[in-house]
Amino acid sequence: MLKCVMSGSQVKVFGKAVQALSRISDEFWLDPSKKGLALRCVNSSRSAYGCVLFSPVFFQHYQWSALVKMSENELDTTLHLKCKLGMKSILPIFRCLNSLERNIEKCRIFTRSDKCKVVIQFFYRHGIKRTHNICFQESQPLQVIFDKNVCTNTLMIQPRLLADAIVLFTSSQEEVTLAVTPLNFCLKSSNEESMDLSNAVHSEMFVGSDEFDFFQIGMDTEITFCFKELKGILTFSEATHAPISIYFDFPGKPLALSIDDMLVEANFILATLADEQSRASSPQSLCLSQKRKRSDLIEKKAGKNVTGQALECISKKAAPRRLYPKETLTNISALENCGSPAMKRVDGDVSEVSESSVSNTEEVPGSLCLRKFSCMFFGAVSSDQQEHFNHPFDSLARASDSEEDMNNVCCRKEFNGSDAKYFCII
Amino acid sequence: MKFRAKIVDGACLNHFTRISNMIAKLAKTCTLRISPDKLNFILCDKLANGGVSMWCELEQENFFNEFQMEGVSAENNEIYLELTSENLSRALKTAQNARALKIKLTNKHFPCLTVSVELLSMSSSSRIVTHDIPIKVIPRKLWKDLQEPVVPDPDVSIYLPVLKTMKSVVEKMKNISNHLVIEANLDGELNLKIETELVCVTTHFKDLGNPPLASESTHEDRNVEHMAEVHIDIRKLLQFLAGQQVNPTKALCNIVNNKMVHFDLLHEDVSLQYFIPALS
Repeated sequence: MLKCVMSGSQVKVFGKAVQALSRISDEFWLDPSKKGLALRCVNSSRSAYGCVLFSPVFFQHYQWSALVKMSENELDTTLHLKCKLGMKSILPIFRCLNSLERNIEKCRIFTRSDKCKVVIQFFYRHGIKRTHNICFQESQPLQVIFDKNVCTNTLMIQPRLLADAIVLFTSSQEEVTLAVTPLNFCLKSSNEESMDLSNAVHSEMFVGSDEFDFFQIGMDTEITFCFKELKGILTFSEATHAPISIYFDFPGKPLALSIDDMLVEANFILATLADEQSRASSPQSLCLSQKRKRSDLIEKKAGKNVTGQALECISKKAAPRRLYPKETLTNISALENCGSPAMKRVDGDVSEVSESSVSNTEEVPGSLCLRKFSCMFFGAVSSDQQEHFNHPFDSLARASDSEEDMNNVCCRKEFNGSDAKYFCII
Repeated sequence: MKFRAKIVDGACLNHFTRISNMIAKLAKTCTLRISPDKLNFILCDKLANGGVSMWCELEQENFFNEFQMEGVSAENNEIYLELTSENLSRALKTAQNARALKIKLTNKHFPCLTVSVELLSMSSSSRIVTHDIPIKVIPRKLWKDLQEPVVPDPDVSIYLPVLKTMKSVVEKMKNISNHLVIEANLDGELNLKIETELVCVTTHFKDLGNPPLASESTHEDRNVEHMAEVHIDIRKLLQFLAGQQVNPTKALCNIVNNKMVHFDLLHEDVSLQYFIPALS
């Protein structure tokens, strides 16, 4: 259950968040909790994830209650609201934000779980009220498992500077490359595209490190990611006037862009182009490859569930870690390239994964060329009361029991030297 | 071949940007001719351009603080480059409020015109923006098609009205027909005429004046009120008018009866000739 109220200026910020997320996906989750209201979304290729968390104090009024369900182990488990909304329904409501800001006195959003509806009401002057009833789809929210605090490189920048850089690129530009040295920052057209299109202009912008609020580069790095999502994030950052933090490691590892205001916290995780080898792949062969891979996984899954019993995977809570040994980082990298997930039915308790299944998760070397963007770790949003958003490794991941998620395939792997267990959804 | 130029003056940079913007509106692809004294933007009258041709000329010393070039040889000390005008225009647009602009002929993976912009910033260091614009170097044997067009003796030469007014009229006429008749006489009168089966619309401009030389030489031979006319595609005229952001110092229209319209514009430091052939 959710009930919240905002003023006109707050609606503008909320609307900017919706607009930013619409660049990532056609649908998003409405996920209220004790920490506030989160809007989450992930794109269809699982290469981009966005989450905007509005603190309870952001709203004039915020009321939330969790559904309590008795689990089989007779433990109280708090479940999140399973509320997925289509962007096509929501986006038009928050289109003319400047007009909304000026004209509405109050906006009220609440859920009616009995009818699977979210109600959005705008209260205008002169007693005029506009009500939108939007049906939602029951779906467990996803959360990306990625700890930005262990990234080697960290930047903090004013949105205005990034906006200046973005103007350089044409709207047809699909990917941009971010290159850093300890003294310099460079944003440029992706080299891959300029090779393909002989008439494309290659642009780049160098900025000195002294223009940043924070500039920490552990190693020279060049990462390439989608441009569309970056523009969406900037749209949102203009509304908050807060600096943007950028966290990244090396090609193939995700890039995180964060905005941390007192009232609003936003995190966008983007996949980056993997190693040099994969840049040669064409988008079409990539799609075909992914399609084939998914078909294989579905077949495997069907084979293992001859009895028709649903596959369930449960994992123990992972201990939070700020720093990981080099060995662990290597494992993380290996897991990101999971191609053949180890699938095993779990009856109640978590059982150990055999060593042979660990080797099964390694990618066939030849198929590395076909992977363009590494997938990221995803799991259900934890119901843990003590969850810290900045440490998603705290989360207890739970697969969704909705029909749509049945098509997701879970793989699991145990890291040597660590008691943490992670899920990867392909 | 070498080419390297630099603009540090803000006013010159803005002016050069406006010219590039105008060219981008007039021609999708054009030739940039670089010679020791001049820059030319050229559109030759290929069928692909619908017979339209253009010749735009800039004196380089009015724009560039530094200008160094070496052509293909000492005898042919020129460089001809084909490029997409929009690319250059967009690159220069990022140079607003710049401290300096550099243009250079480079070869990175492919031949490029590299535009470097040094932007002001809040801190001590500058922001450097670089655009590598793909170009094609035009070989010597094709240069003959890219020379300055020969201007035929016009039947009527007349000064144009304010281009913005003219554009406004032509835009409305386009809603009626794609064919337009432009006619003028030596009595300072110019008419824009649309004729269809249903309606005939004519806009009259009066007291425009004729260049002294032209009227003087032909005055005794014919009736000054006699109209010379050309039947043209209205879209080509609109494309020409759309490119004119600022009213030029001098704007002249030369009509060769039933053959072509020749526009001769002079802005400060820039001359532009635009040829629209008659519809057959």
